[in-house]
Amino acid sequence: MKSKNTQKNIINIVIYVIFAILLFLLLLPLISMFGTAIKTHDAALMTTSLFPEKWADLSLENFGYVMIKMKFGKNLLNSAIVSIVVTLACIFCAAPAGYAISRFKGPYFKFYSVLLLLLQMFPIMLMLMPQYLIFTKLHITNSLLSIIISYTTGNLAFSIWLLKGFYDSIPMELEQAAMVDGCTKFRAFLTVVFPLTLPGIATVSVFTMLNAWNEYTVASVFLKKDAIMTMTLGLQKFVQQNGADWPSLMAAACIATVPAIVFVIFSQKYLIEGMTAGAVKG
Amino acid sequence: MKKKKNKIENNRLGYLMTIPATLLILLVDIYPLFNGISLSLQKYNLQHPDKRRFIGLDNYVDLFQDVEFLGVLGYTFFYTIVTVVTSYLFGLILALIMNRKMPGKGIYRTLALLPWAVAPSVANVCWRLLFNDRVGIINIFLMKIGAIDSPILFLAKGDIARYTVIFTDFWRDFPFMMIVLLASMSSIPRDLYESAYMDGAGFWSSFRYITMPMIKGVSAISTILMFIWVFNRFDNIYLLTGGGPNKATYTLPIMSYFTSFMRGNMGKATAMAVVMLMVMTVVAIIYLRVMKSEENE
Repeated sequence: MKSKNTQKNIINIVIYVIFAILLFLLLLPLISMFGTAIKTHDAALMTTSLFPEKWADLSLENFGYVMIKMKFGKNLLNSAIVSIVVTLACIFCAAPAGYAISRFKGPYFKFYSVLLLLLQMFPIMLMLMPQYLIFTKLHITNSLLSIIISYTTGNLAFSIWLLKGFYDSIPMELEQAAMVDGCTKFRAFLTVVFPLTLPGIATVSVFTMLNAWNEYTVASVFLKKDAIMTMTLGLQKFVQQNGADWPSLMAAACIATVPAIVFVIFSQKYLIEGMTAGAVKG
Repeated sequence: MKKKKNKIENNRLGYLMTIPATLLILLVDIYPLFNGISLSLQKYNLQHPDKRRFIGLDNYVDLFQDVEFLGVLGYTFFYTIVTVVTSYLFGLILALIMNRKMPGKGIYRTLALLPWAVAPSVANVCWRLLFNDRVGIINIFLMKIGAIDSPILFLAKGDIARYTVIFTDFWRDFPFMMIVLLASMSSIPRDLYESAYMDGAGFWSSFRYITMPMIKGVSAISTILMFIWVFNRFDNIYLLTGGGPNKATYTLPIMSYFTSFMRGNMGKATAMAVVMLMVMTVVAIIYLRVMKSEENE
């Protein structure tokens, strides 16, 4: 009995070690990003170690340079504005639509659910090219509005579909009881059902916000002026202009990633909920 | 008759509630979609807008006679399939290891999730540093242990770059597979394994006869979903190699991007995108079939 336990322990330790090595390799890009960013500018260019080799090589000067000289703060602010507005707009459109598809019957609503699945399969490029022509005609390229519209619509199908699943799991009797008490159906939705789907709203928010924060393709087509660029574009522009200035580049990458990583750690319950909703629940 | 009218009356709120979403979807998705299809039937270059005219299927005929396009189409499939298969297999292995009681499982899962959550523009800047031939840690390490004599040109040599971009896409995608498969595995009742263990089943046979059948549906759906995402993916390659060196890592999204937004040839670029739409249509049909058979089970 005892030897069996020891054997089990050994297997566990081996698995832990393998996992730790694996994770180190997988996270190497992020580890080296951080390690390079906190070196002094010279040390980063001269040494090849993962982290600063001595205390004198440790410095935050790259971060200061990036925020002040590169004006990276402006890019981050643009990304933050876009993420928040897109998330709010997405919830505003998706919450009632998801409810409608969940509660009302008829060919229209049936077609709508199929449409949502299909929308997620359309090639982005096919929509992006005409969108570019249309937005140019409307003179809204080079404004945050253009990507806000595009991102909101892009996140809509998944959001509606996910919220529909949440509404499906809430018993109809709740609204019916409220309606017997004299509520209209819409009021019952707002005051009784909507508050119960807050976990769903949280999942949608987390996904939409992360998608908007990380998006590059659409932004690169619509935003050409420096003042309006988002974080992903600002980073890319910096790569094109001073490609070999790795320490500043890594500092900028660090600043852009830390909020996202903190966000992921605190909201992972909702992230995992959303990731599995599509595939597991069907 | 009265009943029917009642139904419409009842559904009115439903129609109203979909209005904001419908407006956006119609104006920003559906209209551009049809607009794009109609553009693909035109000769239309942004640099010569005066020469715009309807040319039927000529763009498509040109594409399918173009060796370069056919090569790119082939590589797009290769890129997508290899990425999806490796992500699935690696995700499956990680999920199998983690699908047991182990302390610190939550931390491992969070850390493994990070590649999926980091912006591709950030991740690929980091990869460019790691893959660099002079200051990149991977080359320095391999040279130090004597595995190679001269640095590997991960991004600058076409036939290597074609696999490097697949690797970074795999890196970004396996966490999704891991999470989804782990969720599906943890819903399998434990006693199934216990009784199989009593009957003398080893790891392999309980995997083959219990785990695999239970995660079959989820595997099918998540693989199809990922096929769609990777086939349409633009940023991974663009941010790493820009489609180079010498167009070696061109995929359909990259090729249509350059054709439209750099060279202004909207007609041809939309035709490429419509070819992508056709591939997606086939995938969508498979997807709906799988969904239906899942529902029936």
